[in-house]
Amino acid sequence: MKYFLTFIITIVIYTSTYSQTSICGQQFHKKNCSAFDEAKEKDKSKKPQVWDYNAQSKSGLFVQGKPSKLKCVMYKGMDYRISICCEVKSEKIIYKISNARTNELLFDNSKEDPNVDKHFLFSPPSTTSLLIEVIVPKAAEAKENEPNQETCVGLLIEHKVADKKGFSQY
Amino acid sequence: MNKLTLLILTTIISFTFSNCGGGEKAEDSDEIDSVKTEKQTTEKSSEISFQVPSPGEMLSFIKVVGGKNNKNISFLNPISNEKKYTSNKLKVINFGIYSCDLSYCSIFEMGSESLKYFKLIKTMGDEIGVSSAIKPELLKRIEKNIGNSDSLAFITDDVYLSSFETLEDSKQGSTLALVVAGGWLESLFIATNLAVYEENSPVISRLADQKYTLENLIDFFKKYEENQDVMNVRKDFDGLLLEYNKIPLKDAADSKSVNGKKSQDLVMSAEVFKNIAEKIKALRNSYALNN
Repeated sequence: MKYFLTFIITIVIYTSTYSQTSICGQQFHKKNCSAFDEAKEKDKSKKPQVWDYNAQSKSGLFVQGKPSKLKCVMYKGMDYRISICCEVKSEKIIYKISNARTNELLFDNSKEDPNVDKHFLFSPPSTTSLLIEVIVPKAAEAKENEPNQETCVGLLIEHKVADKKGFSQY
Repeated sequence: MNKLTLLILTTIISFTFSNCGGGEKAEDSDEIDSVKTEKQTTEKSSEISFQVPSPGEMLSFIKVVGGKNNKNISFLNPISNEKKYTSNKLKVINFGIYSCDLSYCSIFEMGSESLKYFKLIKTMGDEIGVSSAIKPELLKRIEKNIGNSDSLAFITDDVYLSSFETLEDSKQGSTLALVVAGGWLESLFIATNLAVYEENSPVISRLADQKYTLENLIDFFKKYEENQDVMNVRKDFDGLLLEYNKIPLKDAADSKSVNGKKSQDLVMSAEVFKNIAEKIKALRNSYALNN
């Protein structure tokens, strides 16, 4: 019995310590980020919007206080939806989206209502490169000498062909 | 079984489980020539990450804007070419090319061709280190959905994305760069074969807009230039960008003026389209070893 328990404990220790499955692998944003609007889904009179996964989505390990940027391409004639999620639900992620060519700021979630989990909807008037800057702020109660915490952050980008309006060619 | 034997067995099993993981081991790729696995470092927040859309997105767009009835496969990379790819660079780039061909066949509802290309990239995927991303049960899913183009397109796009994620998670950046290069280039090659030049064609506009994606791609390559293959591909793509830089920006006809500024589109002339199409064809055929 003793050896059987040794066997079980050894298995548990090695698989948990040396597991190569990363919590912050590229599946993180797929599993955790969702801009799905439950309120709209309940209203069946509204046509459901079908968003496709965009391969420019990404997850990464963030050090608190250090920004990270992602540059992606958004095409004219498409609608895009960008949402952010964090490993720690209570973390308030700040993200800013700007035109990579003109530096025009398009969205800054720190200026939005903090009680509303807002995603960014974008229909580019012409194809453009966007620069998305994401930062996990340092915790207010963090001490100066305390090492910064790391946390997994996911950036989910979704797209669909823009709805035809008026004489739009798409 | 005596106690000593059980203890030894426990130790052996423990070491065995300690080597199990959720994906390809980075060390496995060392046997592939000229691909060095990057050091395992935590992907900490710092530099800019340059992202590239998947080939399937371009192809889906083409189908939506008018290519639904297309069944042409004459320009795809023949499966028989696979045996020509003896170097790692050609294997990896053509894995990307064939992945795009697979997406094309799926999106345009050519189920039997999809199966052929899937079997090929499964074999190639095993060789380049993404076998965990292309599971054998995917073949059954493809066979089951052979008549359902939406499901098929989703499954095959997932193959590309899974391969991408496997390489990214296992820090095989240079391999990833070459796969992405092959996939993107093939999507443009297919698009230039399907497109007929018309000034206001949405496909021509989307092809012109690939300039932005190309710029991102080149910046992405620069991160892995310690790999000679990636550096050489980057130089090839720089040559393509020279052609793209000839496309002028013009005020978009359908755009409102905001704060005195109108949005601008890249507007490609017939001559520039022809030059770009020829450049893409030459580059793609140099990788696919098509004469």
